[in-house]
Amino acid sequence: MYDILIFLTLMALGFFFGRRAEKKHFKSIRRREAKYRQILAFSERLPPPNTRPVESQLVSGNVVISVDYFKQIVAGLKTLVGGRLTSYESLLERARREAILRMKEQAAAAGAETIFNVKLETASITKGNGQQVGCVEVFAYGTAIIPIA
Amino acid sequence: MPEYENPEVPEGINVSEEHPLKEFILLACGIGAAVAVVLFALTLLAQNAAKAIPFEMEKKLAANAIFSADTENLKSSEFEKYLSTLANKLAKQQGLPEGMTITLHYSNQNIVNAFATLGGHIFVYRGLIDKLPHENALAMVIAHEIAHIRHRDPIIAMGRGATMMLILALFTGGDSAVAQQFLGQIGLVTALNFNREQELAADVVALETLQAYYGHVNGAEVLFEVLGEEEGEVPLAFLSTHPMTQSRIDHVISFRDEHDGRGELTPLPEYQ
Repeated sequence: MYDILIFLTLMALGFFFGRRAEKKHFKSIRRREAKYRQILAFSERLPPPNTRPVESQLVSGNVVISVDYFKQIVAGLKTLVGGRLTSYESLLERARREAILRMKEQAAAAGAETIFNVKLETASITKGNGQQVGCVEVFAYGTAIIPIA
Repeated sequence: MPEYENPEVPEGINVSEEHPLKEFILLACGIGAAVAVVLFALTLLAQNAAKAIPFEMEKKLAANAIFSADTENLKSSEFEKYLSTLANKLAKQQGLPEGMTITLHYSNQNIVNAFATLGGHIFVYRGLIDKLPHENALAMVIAHEIAHIRHRDPIIAMGRGATMMLILALFTGGDSAVAQQFLGQIGLVTALNFNREQELAADVVALETLQAYYGHVNGAEVLFEVLGEEEGEVPLAFLSTHPMTQSRIDHVISFRDEHDGRGELTPLPEYQ
């Protein structure tokens, strides 16, 4: 009986706070993406050959986002039947965009206009530990190109 | 580099339009129903299979596993002999099948409880007898536990419990802790519900036994009044192992009225 109550409380907490955090995060991501749109990010390894002499610098952005209890339960049930894990998809999208944004913020602070060789790494911090609520890390890095004044 | 620009990212590629609660409810209902059906079918099978286990084998099981726990508190006294005699008389009234024997154990502990377990063993605690005002209520306890044994309820419960654990372990595979927790809840409720049916069946047989033994069932309801006071009311009948106390008392009273079952109450002998 108490187990059910604890379970439902955790679910409700996860649902309300997780949803609120996600909405807020997406709003902030959209706002900051608009702000840093002039900084161009390329997966291309090198800048075009006709580029004027520039300085370059490694820039990176790193984010860790935790799954909430509700998302984890829904995903856990979904793994029994298969299909899109929609509750994790939005989580990873947030992490990717946030990591790129943090990288761009660093580039902007260094006075760069473009970033080349942008790469993303992802890692699950709680890998293999089924008892824990999982979290995911996304790391974005690249070479910021800073024009010489 | 004016010829390049970062396009605005289209929203909603990875964010599903569907409300997450809707997905959860669909999943929970679907998987819950599937598990319930499988559990129900397999436990039904296990129960019927458990009934086919010979009583002799159940006795051996009990001798190995269960019956070793409470021996130090058992008393060999006049009172225990009286209890055994009463149990044997009630067992005779119920007409137990060939080879089925009842072993009654009296435990001098202040616990308000009595239970039947594998191998025809019945445990009665002094704490319960202390609260019973006459022999008729005590006979109701013993007849109820004998009925459980006659119905093979202990071995059925064991078969059901083992099957349920096996299925849940299969479903959850051991590494998905959350799903395991969720599925565990369903299993629990189903198990309790089954026990209630067995309790009700045992009540019916116990009343019939008392009617045959005393010629009336007067005083049987006292048992449930005592148990009800002890537990306090359980909020939901669906979630309780034993049926709601009031409905059991009502059942005794309606049985008494049907059988014109009023008569003299038999006192309990002296004991310590």
